[in-house]
Amino acid sequence: MKTPRYWTIFWTFFRIGLFTLGGGLAMATVIRHELVLQRRWIKDEDFLSELSTATLIPGVIAVNLAFLQGRRLRGKGGSFAAIMGTVLPSFLVILLIATVAMPYFSHPVVASFLKGCAIGVAGLLGFAAYTFGRKYVRDYRNMLVCAVGLVVIAVLGMHPVWAVIVCGVVGYTWHTFTAKNTQNSDR
Amino acid sequence: MAGLFRLFGSFVLIALGAYGGGLVTIPLIQHEIVEKHNWLGFEEMAGLVAIAQITPGPIAINSATFVGFRLGSFLGSLTATVAVVLPSLTILTALTPFLEKVQTSSHVLKIRQGLQMGVLSLIIFAVWSYGTAVMNGIPEIMTGIAAFAFLVAFEGKIHPFLVILGSGLLGICIF
Repeated sequence: MKTPRYWTIFWTFFRIGLFTLGGGLAMATVIRHELVLQRRWIKDEDFLSELSTATLIPGVIAVNLAFLQGRRLRGKGGSFAAIMGTVLPSFLVILLIATVAMPYFSHPVVASFLKGCAIGVAGLLGFAAYTFGRKYVRDYRNMLVCAVGLVVIAVLGMHPVWAVIVCGVVGYTWHTFTAKNTQNSDR
Repeated sequence: MAGLFRLFGSFVLIALGAYGGGLVTIPLIQHEIVEKHNWLGFEEMAGLVAIAQITPGPIAINSATFVGFRLGSFLGSLTATVAVVLPSLTILTALTPFLEKVQTSSHVLKIRQGLQMGVLSLIIFAVWSYGTAVMNGIPEIMTGIAAFAFLVAFEGKIHPFLVILGSGLLGICIF
């Protein structure tokens, strides 16, 4: 396999960023298609394990993925090219919308369109809670960890970031504790 | 106007908490931009975030650029966008030598399970806090339920983009 040029890496990620709707995970599917299946730059098992790392590390998934794939393709410079290619289309498109369309946001028709879209996003949030819950809340332990998170944000009124941190710590200690317990009962 | 430095800090926090995808940024943006700093009203924030969902690219980047532009024009958008990328860059650079270990460590898997539940609690909280703020009347609630029902009924067959766009067009007719 030939090492791709920085420009080619940048341009590949730029095109994907410009034409993919639906955020980071939708982009991951297209990135896999381009890098693994079409160009054969990256092996599928490498891509999938790096995708799981990208979702594991805090931060924007698409940027994490670009960092890891870029690094695999061409080291630090490759990471930089891939990240610029991922961020720049979003940045430019939003700047364009902001300068051209923002003055019309208060127009009644545009305002009711935006209000409708915002309600659609609420529906999407509900849908995400439904699918995510169905997938991960398999036992009472997870359900209780999730409840702890809700108490942190809704009852204690702490910063939402704390819900994620506290759940990480509680989940970790609980899983470690119960794992030790089963080992003990085996003896 | 928001100080660029505070705007930067807010979006670093938003990116750090956005564990698990762009949708999770919504409760964080609502908390930081609307409730904590009062930089935008809820409705305006909701409009910007909705556009971020239906424009191409990563949703967190779109939201950061848009909210940043609204608060501090070009410099604001640049500040917020850099801030939202920086945590990824720093953490991954620091972890690079250990990445193989991180992927297979059983400790990491246990933390991950907990973090996933944290994200779920954040999304459930957003359904309530964002949902009740945006659906403040009977037609609004009906629209939201219709959007949800569509997504559940045609799961995997309909792109969320189309549902949001459809809700917007419905909005023009009834609001």
